[in-house]
Formats: sequence, structure tokens, C-alpha cells
Amino acid sequence: MNDAESKELTISEISHQIRSGQISPIELTEFCLNKIKRLNTTINAFLTITEDQALAAAKVAEKEIRSGLYRGPLHGIPFSIKDNIATKGVRTTAGSKLLSEWKPDYDATVVARLKEAGAIILGKTNMSEWALGGTTINPYYGTTHNPWDLRRIAGGSSGGSGATVSSGMSMASIGTDSAQSVRNPASMCGIVGLKPTYGRISQFGQVAGSGGFSTNCIGILTKKVDDCALVLEAIAGYDPKDPLSAEEPVPKYSKDIKKHVKGIKVGVIGGYFDNLISNEVKNAFTEAIKTLTSLGMIMEEVSIPHMDLIPAVKVCTSRVENASEHLHYLRTRPSDYSPNVRNSYICALLIPASTYVTAQRVRRMICNEFDEALKKVNIIVAPTVPFPAPTIEECMQGFIEVDGKKIPWQDPRGGIDNLCAIPFNVTGLPALSVCCGFSRQGLPMGMQIAGSHFAESVVFQVAHAYERAAGWYKRHPELA
Amino acid sequence: MRAARQQQSQGVGIMKEKVIRLNDEYGFGLSEEEIEIIAKQAEKANELFKQFDSVDLSGVMPVLTFNKMPRK
Repeated sequence: MNDAESKELTISEISHQIRSGQISPIELTEFCLNKIKRLNTTINAFLTITEDQALAAAKVAEKEIRSGLYRGPLHGIPFSIKDNIATKGVRTTAGSKLLSEWKPDYDATVVARLKEAGAIILGKTNMSEWALGGTTINPYYGTTHNPWDLRRIAGGSSGGSGATVSSGMSMASIGTDSAQSVRNPASMCGIVGLKPTYGRISQFGQVAGSGGFSTNCIGILTKKVDDCALVLEAIAGYDPKDPLSAEEPVPKYSKDIKKHVKGIKVGVIGGYFDNLISNEVKNAFTEAIKTLTSLGMIMEEVSIPHMDLIPAVKVCTSRVENASEHLHYLRTRPSDYSPNVRNSYICALLIPASTYVTAQRVRRMICNEFDEALKKVNIIVAPTVPFPAPTIEECMQGFIEVDGKKIPWQDPRGGIDNLCAIPFNVTGLPALSVCCGFSRQGLPMGMQIAGSHFAESVVFQVAHAYERAAGWYKRHPELA
Repeated sequence: MRAARQQQSQGVGIMKEKVIRLNDEYGFGLSEEEIEIIAKQAEKANELFKQFDSVDLSGVMPVLTFNKMPRK
């Protein structure tokens, strides 16, 4: 397999070739490992590369497949895993200094399920410290660079995961998303990122304190939508180790993905997003809506009256939930946090319990409003990130330039990059980001497709139809 | 405008006292400068949460979990 072939290959395509013996899992794993050796020094997407374990797993996969024991479409497929997801015997840092030497003696449920499905784990990916922030500029492990333009961020907090998939170093990655952290890097790296319904994937084994428990989900990053559906099928479902995981049965998402989309009602929320997004994102999003209409879908404006309260609900909820996890280490090892992260957690300790409960009551109102909207429409679409990837320098200075204006990267609502994504963390609704165009500078931008709770099937159908019609997936970063 | 600034500055002052108490209680070892930064950050968050006051929440139960929500 050469580089040109690898750019086009996706899990759904390559799995047939693995099953038929045309491609060996060892060959595929070696190909990815070579690519990692070539690109990772530049991109800094992997923090730990598990070469020996990956090759050993690939040999087992090859032996099993040759002897007729084919486990399914993820058998022999190389994955990367965000470094806040526990991997047995492999360092898991959560992007922190505190856990720089921690090797868990267990696998997170999502990792165990991937291994059961025959997937090959290539290593652990860089992330923002404790998953806080959308830049993957990490004070201890360095910055992950965007494969489309190395001067720019890859997004975050699962920036390493986004960059491994976008550059072809891995075929898929598992990340976490408590504010945007899967969808943001997916948008900035031009790939697909899914934050499923809250509880759809077990959170057991995600490092505590790397995402507010009630807003966080484990998510999936892939090159294409059908790959994402295949991965969700393998890792979703109830887990007795996670009391917040859902008992809903897991449908065969990949089976229904090509169902026709004509007549599907698409909601667009007026107001909130318009005030956030750059002109380039606005134009790309408008074009994407035209494409959805051309596929026979029906657009309808929907209203969420308390939409503007979402940032306050999100900030209050996440900060309080995270801070409660960090209290012990804030007291015993405060110098093992970067000043910004430590200050943010200490600041959260000043939020009164009554404010947290009030935030959850406002959250109920917002959830009800989304439920009402989703009775009128099947899905809701929105931009993923308000602007294409800014430069690393801009982010370090704390200001980015959008439409000729300098704006602060952080304001009281948190990072300005996450404002389009957080409505779906606050409501727990599934939301998938798919590439919806490129900026004048050749940077990808994303559109979110969100559905009702546990309605990932319809989200996949719409995303798949759009992806085929728009064809943005055919572009690849030159570096890859 | 001046009244708003004065109110904010009073807010930061109160918040600073809270940070100092927290620092003493938990032993974070914060410097004077860090106490100031955290107090300002906390006051800004406080301002943000004041938005909740504009909503009538009578009879609204808080969100507890999503996982038991019925499939739509």
C-alpha cells in the first residue's frame, strides 16, 4: 500500500480487503507506524507510541483472520486513543504533569471493547492539560500542529486524536467531549467527529477530572461518516461499570446509513449562532444548507428561547464538577498544575452550591426547549467552530483575528471556540461534525448535525448523504 | 457606567476575601498576585451567573441525568 492509496482508504473499504486477505493487518499497522515515525516529530500528535504491542496485536489479528475467526469490521484496524482514557500497562497522563508516570492496571471499557473487536492500538494522543481548552497547546507535552497548516492549532482538547486521523497516522481515534473536544478538532482537521447521546458510550476508565461528569461523552474521530457508524456499533452500549451508561439497545447504524433523506426536516436555530460565527464559516454553512435542501430535506427555523443562557449553564456545571475531582490534588500537589488550570479550578470552588442547582434548573428549561424543537424537526444543524483554525501564536497571545477584528480567545463564557458546540453537551443530544468547506487559506470548517436522544441513526444518515453530495472528504492535507 | 464599575470593584474586593479564606483553609499557597487574578476571574463568572436571575424557575426541577430519557 502506498501513500496515495492510504489517503482514500477508509475502515469500511479496507475491512473487506482485510477479511479477504488482500491487505494484512501487519502490513497496515506497519504502514501507520512508519507514517507516525515520519510525521509525529513535526505534528506532535502522539505522546506514547505502543509499537511493540501494536505489532503483536496485528500478528494475532492476522492469525485469527487466516484461521477464519473474523471479529468484524474493526478487526486489524489501527486506532489511536486520547491520553485521558485508561489503557492497561500504557502511560495515561490526561495531558497533566500529575499523571506523567501513571500506568493504569485496567483498560477503559471503550478500549476493552475495541480490543474485543480486534482493533490495533497504536498509542496515546496529545491533549490539552486535563482536557481544559480547545488548543492542545500543552505546557508539559508540547503543541499538536494542524496537518493542514503546521503553524496552526489542531483544535482540542482531543487535538492529537484529530491530527492522527487527518494525517493518516491512524484510521480512527477515540476522544472525549465535554464542551466540544471531539467536534472541535474534527472541524479544524477536516474530519468527522461524533459526540454521541449522553450515556451511549460507557465513560468507565476516562480519567476523573478531565471533563464534567454530566456534560462529558467519549466520542469518535474518523475520516468518513460510515466509519464513525461502524466504530459506534462496536463500542456503544450499557456497561455495569458506568452507572450513567444507557440501557438503550445499540442499533446497526451502518445498515441504515444509506437510507434516503428526502423529506427529513432540518432545524436551524436563529440568532445565537449568527452572532458568533465568522463570515467564512457563515458562507460555508449557508452553502451546506443549500446542499441539504438539494437532497430533498426541508429547512425550518426553530426557536430555543433560552439559548443565550447556555454558556452560563455550561461554565457553572463543568467547573463545579471538575473542581470536585481535583480538590485533593489542589491541596496536596498544587504545583503540578499549570497556573491557568489551577486558578480555574480554585475559582470554581467559589461557586455556591445553590448556583450549581440553579444552573441545573435552567438546564432543564433548555433541554425541554430542545425537545420541543425536535418534535417539529428531525435534526438540527449548526456550525461546529465559529472560525477556521487560528495560528498557535495567536492562541498563545490570547487574541485571534476574525474578519479583521482582534478578539480575546477567552471571555467570561469560557473559550470562544466552544460556543457553537456546548448546546449539545448541556442537553446531552448527539451531535456529529462533518467537513462543510474550506476557507480561502485552505483550512477546513465543520457543520454539526444533531438529533434527539439516541437518534444517532438519523444523524448518520443525514451526515452520510451530505458528505457524499458535498465531496469535501476527497481533500487531504498535503503533509499526509 | 461609573456605578457599575464601582459595584464590580466592590465585588472583586469581596471575592478577594473569599479567595484569601479559601487559600488559608486549603493551603494552596497562592501569592498576592494569584489571589487577585482568581478573584477577578471569580467575579466575572459571578456576573455571568447573574443571567439566571432573569428566568422564572418556579416549578422547574433540576436536570439529574439523561440516561433514562426515552428514545425519540
